[in-house]
Amino acid sequence: MMKQMVLQRIAIGFVTLMVVSVIVFVMTSWLPGDVASIILGQAATPETLAALRAQLGTDQPLIYQYFGWLSNMATGDLGISKAGGATISSLIESRIGNTMVMAGLVALISIPISISLGLWAAMHPGTWLDRLVTFCTLSLISVPEFFIATILVLILAVELHWLPSTAYLTGDESFLELLKAVAMPLITLVIVVSAQMIRMTRAGILNVMSSPYIEMAILKGVPRRRIILRHAFFNAIGPIVNVIALNLAYLVSGVVIVETIFAYPGMAKLMIDAVQTRDLPLVQATAMIFCAVYVVLIILADVASILSNPRLRQPK
Amino acid sequence: MKDDEIKKHELKYQDLDHVDKGIVEKSVKGGYSRRDILKLMVATGVTMAAAENMLYSGNVAIAATPKKGGSVRMANTIHGPDDQTDPMLFTSGADYGRGRAVYNGLVQHANDLSPQPELATSFEPNSDATEWTFKLRKGVEWHDGTKFTADDVVWSMNRHLGEDSTSVIKSVLATVKEWKKLGSHEVKAIMHSPNSDLPTLLGMFQNKVIKDGTTGDWIGTGPFTMESFEPGVKSVHKRNENYWREGANLDACVITAITDPVARVNALVAGDIQIMSNVDPKSFRQVESAEGVTLLSIPAASQLGICILKNTKPGENDDFVKGMQYIQDRERVVKRILKGKGSLGNDTPISASHGADWCSELAQREFDPDKAKFHFKKSGYSGADLFVAPVTAGIEDICLLAQANCAKIGFKLNLKKVPNDGYWGAVWMKEPLNVVSWNMRPTANSQLALQFGPGSSWNDTFWNNDRMGELLTLSLAEIDPAKRHAHFCEMQTLIHEGSGMVIPAFSNINDGIANNVMNMPTVPLGQCGAMEWPEFIWLA
Repeated sequence: MMKQMVLQRIAIGFVTLMVVSVIVFVMTSWLPGDVASIILGQAATPETLAALRAQLGTDQPLIYQYFGWLSNMATGDLGISKAGGATISSLIESRIGNTMVMAGLVALISIPISISLGLWAAMHPGTWLDRLVTFCTLSLISVPEFFIATILVLILAVELHWLPSTAYLTGDESFLELLKAVAMPLITLVIVVSAQMIRMTRAGILNVMSSPYIEMAILKGVPRRRIILRHAFFNAIGPIVNVIALNLAYLVSGVVIVETIFAYPGMAKLMIDAVQTRDLPLVQATAMIFCAVYVVLIILADVASILSNPRLRQPK
Repeated sequence: MKDDEIKKHELKYQDLDHVDKGIVEKSVKGGYSRRDILKLMVATGVTMAAAENMLYSGNVAIAATPKKGGSVRMANTIHGPDDQTDPMLFTSGADYGRGRAVYNGLVQHANDLSPQPELATSFEPNSDATEWTFKLRKGVEWHDGTKFTADDVVWSMNRHLGEDSTSVIKSVLATVKEWKKLGSHEVKAIMHSPNSDLPTLLGMFQNKVIKDGTTGDWIGTGPFTMESFEPGVKSVHKRNENYWREGANLDACVITAITDPVARVNALVAGDIQIMSNVDPKSFRQVESAEGVTLLSIPAASQLGICILKNTKPGENDDFVKGMQYIQDRERVVKRILKGKGSLGNDTPISASHGADWCSELAQREFDPDKAKFHFKKSGYSGADLFVAPVTAGIEDICLLAQANCAKIGFKLNLKKVPNDGYWGAVWMKEPLNVVSWNMRPTANSQLALQFGPGSSWNDTFWNNDRMGELLTLSLAEIDPAKRHAHFCEMQTLIHEGSGMVIPAFSNINDGIANNVMNMPTVPLGQCGAMEWPEFIWLA
């Protein structure tokens, strides 16, 4: 039963990917201005445009371009960046490493912090420390991330000179140098992501705490700490894992503002650059990667919820 | 003013031309005392405070000849997956800087825009400038060790010509018919029509010499080699120890971009980068007041303009155009919007930065709401739509100011805000009123021909004037300076009176550098001394 459900999720994920591929392809072709006119910019004339379009193959019909791209993609050939002439896999390769390093470090720091802080706040609801946590997380969720980033730069880089203001990577730094180089975006993202996860953990557990079986446990005289860690936490894990999955997907695909402010060469920035240069193959490739990341993480979160909650294994 | 304030505002050693720097350095090395130099400077018209300051800011520089070593990180405004490797497709500051580091041209620009020999040792026109002969430098090697010859030049230069060329400067070089090899180190350019400005045009960013049969691929003859190149991330360069000139002073440089303007300034102030391209007027104060960094502001003819199309309504009405020109409060634009780092525009694309070709005798058009009201009334229009994108710093504020001044005389100027993205394809040269920014072109003639030549692809006001076409050709063939000036003056008067161009102001080129960056070039054709810096700067 379990196996079948997982297979079903994977199949749905695959269909989602195909639908997204069509949407991405059609939407990108609707963008005003094509890659040739973007490359030439203010310097475009009808002749240079036509010459460049023929060279890039963008004068072919759309449907022909779509199937060509899809079959290439299936064989792992992501194509050639129309704007710069480099292969897309080489462009993505270096960026995806950077993105994974950042997402991994942020997850490594923020997940333990948020879950323990969330649990701790749920164990002591209504105390002034719980209120402090709630106040801080709510404020941080309300403040846009570029504001947090800019304040951190002004304090830690411009005034105190403790950390570099941009995340400059040479590619051959030691782990400690790497940590220092990425410290600023790392701190910013940990703050942004943790705030949400702390609130979700706290809310999820407090929600379970009001259910009858917890009341039963309380009446039996089980200590509150044991109730939360043994009973409530495992029942609240579904929503918590989902929030973690969404935040991880955000770290891979949605951190464009942080990447821009710290000039961190990650995937999200690559996609925005690609949109600006009308580099359609690159936009499509990055969009597909982001979609795949979402699909995989959501499947994993679903499986985790199913494992933690036996009721979900029974079809309704 | 206190002493340290004077030091900040007066001319600094870094602001001098390389020639003047040479004079100052020579006099120090020649055994003159500080007192003698101050006297000398005051005698030549420099104020005492400025002379003191020049010595103060230049004392490190004067104490030593250019120092070898060190590495510089430089940040441009944009980069992306479309960073080019082929010089003929270069369009951004990052491309230009990399091109300058890795390749050489036949000719390069001095700070005063005079063409200086680079890979060409000499260049001579025939009597009517229909052919140019270039003698090439011998003993130059490519980064891969092969020898540089005339074949490389003929290949590189001919790529810009012909119907199928995708070169960005194809039309600039339209007067060239073909390049021919005369010997192993001699080439000839054969022209369709006379062009006395050809060498200056060859100094442009895209005219780099690449290896025969290649599209660049970062094998050049330049002062730096390309160690690694990641489009949209950075390029890393090492000094070319086998360079044909004295060679770069820096051991290495990194060329990248920080797209967020605030983050770029922060990175400079925090010391993460040593050179930053394009300081936004909003950040002038921050850079000027920060320790250890300097704001370099170089006067240039970078236009902030409003194009009014002459081939459609409402621009076909001359009075409408006049109204738009008289409603520009030019003094205020320069003083408030550009914070003084700019110069007045006179509705022509030529400024004092173009030297002798600028028509200084043409009367400056003043802000005159009464005349504007009169002309708008005569035109019969009571309002218009102006399409505005933030194509360059200050342009939106200029339009807002014009809108407010129009409202005072009862004219309704609607601003249609559009994004930069796709602007050049969808709005510019399409909507009847739109904004434009032009970098300065190396010659007045190329600038005028591009924007106002009858039938030019970039004639962005669609103003076609036959006399203008005649004068463009005449001035190119003219060798007598007085007659040449007369031709240029007539062209500027024609544009000032008849075209649909509104140019309230020219912006300076404003960059930020760390104080230990010495001998920064000031070529006014683009950011960071038109990217001439890699070979010439050194770190004190």
